[in-house]
Amino acid sequence: MKLILAALCFCLISCSIFSQDILIEAESFDNPGGWVIDPQFVEQMGSPYLMAHGMGEPVQNASTVVNFLETRDYHIWVRTMNWVPGEWEAPGRFQLKVGETTFEKVLGKRSSWGWEYVGEIQIKVDSEKIELIDLTGFNGRCDAIYFSTQKVAPPDSAKKLAKWRTVFTQEPNAPEESEAYDLVVVGGGIAGCAASIAAAEQGLKVALIHDRPVLGGNASSEIRVHTLGIYGHFERILRKLDTQHYPNGSAEAKLDQKKRDNNVKSYDNIDLYLNWRAYDAVAKNDTIRFVDARHTSSGERKRFSAPYFVDSTGDGWIGYWAGAKFSYGRESVDTYGEEWEEWGELWSPKEADNAVMGSSVLWGSKVTDTEQKYPEVAWAMPVAKEYEEVNGEWQWEFSRNDLNQIDDAEEIRDHMLRAIYGSFANAKKHPENSMRRLEWVSYLVGKRESRRLVGDHVFTFNDAKAGTKFPDAVVIETREVDVHYQTVLEDEKNPDFISEALFYKTPQYYIPYRSLYSKNINNLFMAGRNFSTSHAGLGGPRVMRTTGQMGAAVGLAASLCKKYDVNPREIYARYLNEYLNLIEAQRYIKIPESKQ
Amino acid sequence: MNYKAEILAFFFVATGFAQFDIPTPILDQSGQNGLIQRPEFYILDWEYGTRLKEKPTSLSIEADSMGLQEVNVLVNSEERPIIYTSDVSTPVCADGDCRLMEIRLYWTLLGAYAGFDYYRNTPLTKHDHDEFLSADYLKLHQLLMDNNSILKHKKIDELVDKPKQPKTEGVDAVAGATIKEVKESVVRGALYSCYTAWHLVHGPIKDAIQRRTLLSLDDTMVLRMLGSSNTGYQLFALKRLTENEYEAHYLRIAEIFESSIPLVRTFIVKKLPDTFWSSEKLQKPFWKSFSKVDINSRSLLLDHLGEVPESVLEGLSVELKNMTKNQIKVFLAHLEESKRVSSSIQANLEAFSNSDTETNAYLVKIYMEDFQQ
Repeated sequence: MKLILAALCFCLISCSIFSQDILIEAESFDNPGGWVIDPQFVEQMGSPYLMAHGMGEPVQNASTVVNFLETRDYHIWVRTMNWVPGEWEAPGRFQLKVGETTFEKVLGKRSSWGWEYVGEIQIKVDSEKIELIDLTGFNGRCDAIYFSTQKVAPPDSAKKLAKWRTVFTQEPNAPEESEAYDLVVVGGGIAGCAASIAAAEQGLKVALIHDRPVLGGNASSEIRVHTLGIYGHFERILRKLDTQHYPNGSAEAKLDQKKRDNNVKSYDNIDLYLNWRAYDAVAKNDTIRFVDARHTSSGERKRFSAPYFVDSTGDGWIGYWAGAKFSYGRESVDTYGEEWEEWGELWSPKEADNAVMGSSVLWGSKVTDTEQKYPEVAWAMPVAKEYEEVNGEWQWEFSRNDLNQIDDAEEIRDHMLRAIYGSFANAKKHPENSMRRLEWVSYLVGKRESRRLVGDHVFTFNDAKAGTKFPDAVVIETREVDVHYQTVLEDEKNPDFISEALFYKTPQYYIPYRSLYSKNINNLFMAGRNFSTSHAGLGGPRVMRTTGQMGAAVGLAASLCKKYDVNPREIYARYLNEYLNLIEAQRYIKIPESKQ
Repeated sequence: MNYKAEILAFFFVATGFAQFDIPTPILDQSGQNGLIQRPEFYILDWEYGTRLKEKPTSLSIEADSMGLQEVNVLVNSEERPIIYTSDVSTPVCADGDCRLMEIRLYWTLLGAYAGFDYYRNTPLTKHDHDEFLSADYLKLHQLLMDNNSILKHKKIDELVDKPKQPKTEGVDAVAGATIKEVKESVVRGALYSCYTAWHLVHGPIKDAIQRRTLLSLDDTMVLRMLGSSNTGYQLFALKRLTENEYEAHYLRIAEIFESSIPLVRTFIVKKLPDTFWSSEKLQKPFWKSFSKVDINSRSLLLDHLGEVPESVLEGLSVELKNMTKNQIKVFLAHLEESKRVSSSIQANLEAFSNSDTETNAYLVKIYMEDFQQ
């Protein structure tokens, strides 16, 4: 409602431009019903949106009440997208209901994000209930609804629309509210949580900003990848956050979710900003001054300032906005000498390229006591082809060199949804699956690799292979390096959404502290898959106990930065012994029995 | 290992070793050591009339409890090595029951799996002593072709012990990937035979053969590999060709580009010397395959848009239907940048943008609108 009201207030002062026009952001609906808020692709398509993720069964209506300043005729547009355009009925169809009027126009049919005209309506009362009626259960999506007295749609292009939105809502450049902390951690995956806990335990006042309602990122009950790797020096902290070794996609993730959320919330000096997504980081003289974030449903904004920041976003967003050096893709085999002859091009290419390990969308089904129907999904079959399956594991992974894991994440997610729905449809043709139904399909992209921020040291495959004992080793790992590739590269008959892993057994290896802070942004730490590493180097330490170790290590480093009022690099240059002692001391803090 | 040796010793005493005469490969009908017919399970090209002679090498493989077994090279009439082979006899034990597995294995010159033959008088058997059926041999062949099999990093014990399977609500918690993948990849009831065969084929012999090949590698061998349909050979040869050789063999390389796997194609596009991108004659055969190759390879070709002649641009303007959304964007961005759009390209763009069936038509429509401004 807040955004709606903002628009209304603006209407009062700027009627000459927009008259009585009203923009309703779908994610701000009072009651989303069975629709989910999807904020994953804000940087690309402009806004969080509502999605009818019903796995083939239409979800309950989303609804909200709109206050109109004037009773009169309005033209209505909905911003939406047909996520699988083609020679079939659009999979995500829905309708709009205003008051008692359900518009006949079926929505969700245009090829790319943009405005679909719904129709005209005479508003006769001051406030009306509006509803989104899902027709398919297959991921219809609605970003916003626009009521206008003129028959002129807002712009379609994301860039122009962003400007239009700013003018329409008369949103000031900077958030009006601001908060100050000792440390701002962005991204509440295992690394971000560990960083927050480690820093908070040393007395720092921490803001942890996370764009989901639950913590854990890929380990959360929303994505359900189990944590791998060892605890290193940080067993006590990581046990508060990690998972059991259940199969990927298991519903058991819910149990660990509760543990993780409660543990992080138990720290008084961690202010947890769940459902807040950072959208900018502003640096001056190569030092980040603040990070701006927006609530994923209310649209409220806040500015977070601190002397130190941790980028645990996975995609390296904070570094990217602040101008940090970063890399993406595979280095040439000669860049760091990362050859593994047995696997040649699959492991490390002769020429650098933009191939990366892909993203997964996990899912599962279960057998019920009754016959379960499943709709025709013609739109999924060009991806699934003949492949049939009843649940997904880590191999359900997608990467292609024309798709960027950040810029094209929505297309990647949607490709995986087609793979899942189509493969399940194939499996359902067998009589033994007649009582089987889809139980859970994630709608969140579980990424493995994207931007990697560059630190003073770039960790490589060779560091793992040689077990290099860095003087500033703060993370320890024994897990083999494993790099994935799409099996379609070896045989075009394979589905393009299945990967294979290449395992290289290493001795125990170490990650230096110098890979955990930015080379050119003075006060930026990184922890998680966006730490300073090469593509092949990432193969081992990308798993979540290892990234958790990175988090804990930077949390402790931040506490020393504060103590001496220095930047991360100086901890290495001047206070390394004290830092290593602080880390070593972690081993001797007893784990309470209740946490074991 | 010890318990296996003991079981095997008992087995020999109990059954008598004499019955394990060296069998004759079913296809080795020439009466001499060699090969005159295509092995029954084989991945390399086999020309009709090929006669290969078997020659000893210093190579060997170690089979469990049976000691070293010779690995020989099969050469053609010009005495050039074609493949390597070994008649392997190895015990396969499961639950205290041991049998000998008799199999003739083949490797490529690079040490990769090339195929196998079995002996009619000692067919492969399963744990229940049933003989392999045709489908089982085929399944074994498929398993051996997978050089990254799930069997690679697993000990045999890990494959037969079922992991604990937590029962919870939610997704089918059974199995995880491992056990399921093992089941899918091995011959049912013959896990031990499959495991043993896979590790023999993909063991240390692989590197030893490759080292031996490298010692006698010459241009003729490299060019033979370039002419092969085997992707391992293709990649090996493509890595070794000089820039001049790329030019000399550009038609064969373009042929490989069209017919090979995406991994080889992407290597080719990245490796093509600069001279290709300044020569219409050299680059055109690759663009000709645009609609037949995979998306990754197309993207790599499109990286060279700035170096293509007008005729290629024109050809691509009718290939928009074969491009992904991002590839179309790349193509349109190039047109916009080059500021030279011929009337025929313009016409093709227009036709695409007006199509009712092309889902990406809107991209071209937006471009046309901007372009006409």
